[in-house]
Amino acid sequence: MALSEVEIGRYARQLLLPGMGEAAQVLLRGARVRISGGGLAMAPAVYYLAAAGVGTIWIDDPDEVKAGAGAGFALGPADLGRQRAAALVEFARGVNGLVAVDLFRPGSRPTALLVCGATLDVSRAIADEARLLQLPHVVADVDGQGGAATSVPVGAPCYSCAVRPGLGAAATAEGGATVGALAALELVLLIAGASLEPRARRIEVFRGTPLVRATARQPGCACAGPAAAGLAP
Amino acid sequence: MNPIVPVARLDIRSHACPVTWVKARIALSRIAEGEVLEVLLQDGEPRENVPRSAEEDGHRVLRLEPAPEEGAGTWRAWLLRGASPEDRAWP
Repeated sequence: MALSEVEIGRYARQLLLPGMGEAAQVLLRGARVRISGGGLAMAPAVYYLAAAGVGTIWIDDPDEVKAGAGAGFALGPADLGRQRAAALVEFARGVNGLVAVDLFRPGSRPTALLVCGATLDVSRAIADEARLLQLPHVVADVDGQGGAATSVPVGAPCYSCAVRPGLGAAATAEGGATVGALAALELVLLIAGASLEPRARRIEVFRGTPLVRATARQPGCACAGPAAAGLAP
Repeated sequence: MNPIVPVARLDIRSHACPVTWVKARIALSRIAEGEVLEVLLQDGEPRENVPRSAEEDGHRVLRLEPAPEEGAGTWRAWLLRGASPEDRAWP
């Protein structure tokens, strides 16, 4: 269905971007994205997914809002102690009233995932789940120097093939903002079919400098199994 | 010479930048390559920017002329749709 006048006005600037247009925006409107993991990239990513017009956003985060956890633009002092997912739902609804935002509930059927794990192990577990469900996903890793966004289209080399541990420095809110926005953009491009080749890629941001590389399947990785057969590399 | 026959008409006189070009771009994406869109636009910024943006996006401006019969300050542009701008990759 074509965009409404209200949607055209809302997304006017985005509709002018190369690779975007009405068809791409309609794809975004029809997408159902689960965002999960509880990491620092989550709040910025929620903001950008909502602002971009992803039609349905489900937030999956069991933790509570804690002091000093960044995301002050989304979560204020009044949110301390609240379930973070509920606070982010409220925040995202205020960002864009044209999209549906809710808590993720078992049985919900997303069409894509944005993984914002607080640790690499958490991200790995969620990304593996997305791979087995054959859902396109992007993983945001935040570290002390910035972080990385890994795009995994269906059938592509998996997150575990692509990930490289950072230097071990504690993740920062600034890194979370950068990587959260970047990961959300990568997922928007995947959903809209507007991403550049290589679509399976990892963008590492080190102290503000991005480095893009295509991901490659590691020998013996489970992602080379039947789930990947016949699908795009 | 065969007359040019637009297959669609768009009135963007009540809109401001960037919605003027956004609406024209969407209307162009809804017609086929080689077809013509007629656009009614206001003099000034829309008359300058919409045709220029159309050419930058790979379309052709076949005609750009005053259309006083449509109202004071109205211009008419006929845009020939080129290849789909949505096929373009990021720079």
